[in-house]
Amino acid sequence: MGKKIGFLGFGTLFGFALSRVGASDFNLIFGMFTGQDLKLVWVILTAVVVGFIGMRVLRLRAKQTISGQPLKISYKKLGHWSLMGGALFGIGWGLAGACPGTVLAQLGEGKIFALFTFTGMIYGTYIYARLKENNTEL
Amino acid sequence: MEPIAQYVFVKPWPFWAGGLIIGLLVPLLYYFYNTPLGVSTGYGNLVKMIFPSRHLKWIRSKFADTWSWRVYFIAGIILGGFISSVFAGQAGFTLEMGQFTDAVGWPAIFIALYFFGGGVFLGLGARIAGGCTSGHSIHGIANLHLSSILATVMFLIGGIVAANLVRIVLLGGVG
Repeated sequence: MGKKIGFLGFGTLFGFALSRVGASDFNLIFGMFTGQDLKLVWVILTAVVVGFIGMRVLRLRAKQTISGQPLKISYKKLGHWSLMGGALFGIGWGLAGACPGTVLAQLGEGKIFALFTFTGMIYGTYIYARLKENNTEL
Repeated sequence: MEPIAQYVFVKPWPFWAGGLIIGLLVPLLYYFYNTPLGVSTGYGNLVKMIFPSRHLKWIRSKFADTWSWRVYFIAGIILGGFISSVFAGQAGFTLEMGQFTDAVGWPAIFIALYFFGGGVFLGLGARIAGGCTSGHSIHGIANLHLSSILATVMFLIGGIVAANLVRIVLLGGVG
């Protein structure tokens, strides 16, 4: 139960930050790809640098989680399918002006069309479940 | 309102403030829950609520557990967007989607179909790629994972091609 409440809190902080910095603004996401506005490139680069430094500090100073478990860093596997999936994802990112996190912040802001991006994402995930039934490499 | 509250709740944040909070989530989620930052996997949980196709192996797997902590994370992000818009004085429903809805004169149903289509690419692509912006581009690159760096390069290629095509074909060219 604690984990669920904790993630509700961290999710709220995440959604608030995405919305305040403009990551849920169609123009900023679309403009990042067309070169009209590169603010979000700087947001992502800052987040990567902060995340990198934070992980170094966590590994060198704390060395373990708050409950004393050894850190288990998740690594995603690499393959030609994952690159294809990346291209598909990028197309959706450019079309919808949203990604799986920012569309949720858009929903919270009351953007009606975000509801369709959101349901499209659920349907796309369902298509994946169907495809995976016959292709274990996916 | 106090000036400091103006900067937090009303004025748009500078890039570094957003990057700082989002980046800090990576070590914080490991420290508290030994869990990588990521959003798109949670859509598997939503799929099971809407399409309870138990004959599909993936739907039966742990990736599609209903009401896992991932659903609470998703709910939190929606709540965060709502709180942001309330304090900024912009709460309420809107049909605005930036330059897209400014430029196309389509009936709402076609705009809805367009965004649904974009969502299908996002949902399918994220699962095949094994993650999205938060899982790959932020969490993965912060941990210097090669798969995440390459996935992000592919995200950017797809996004640059799609957005520029949309701008030229649907939004009336480069203006």
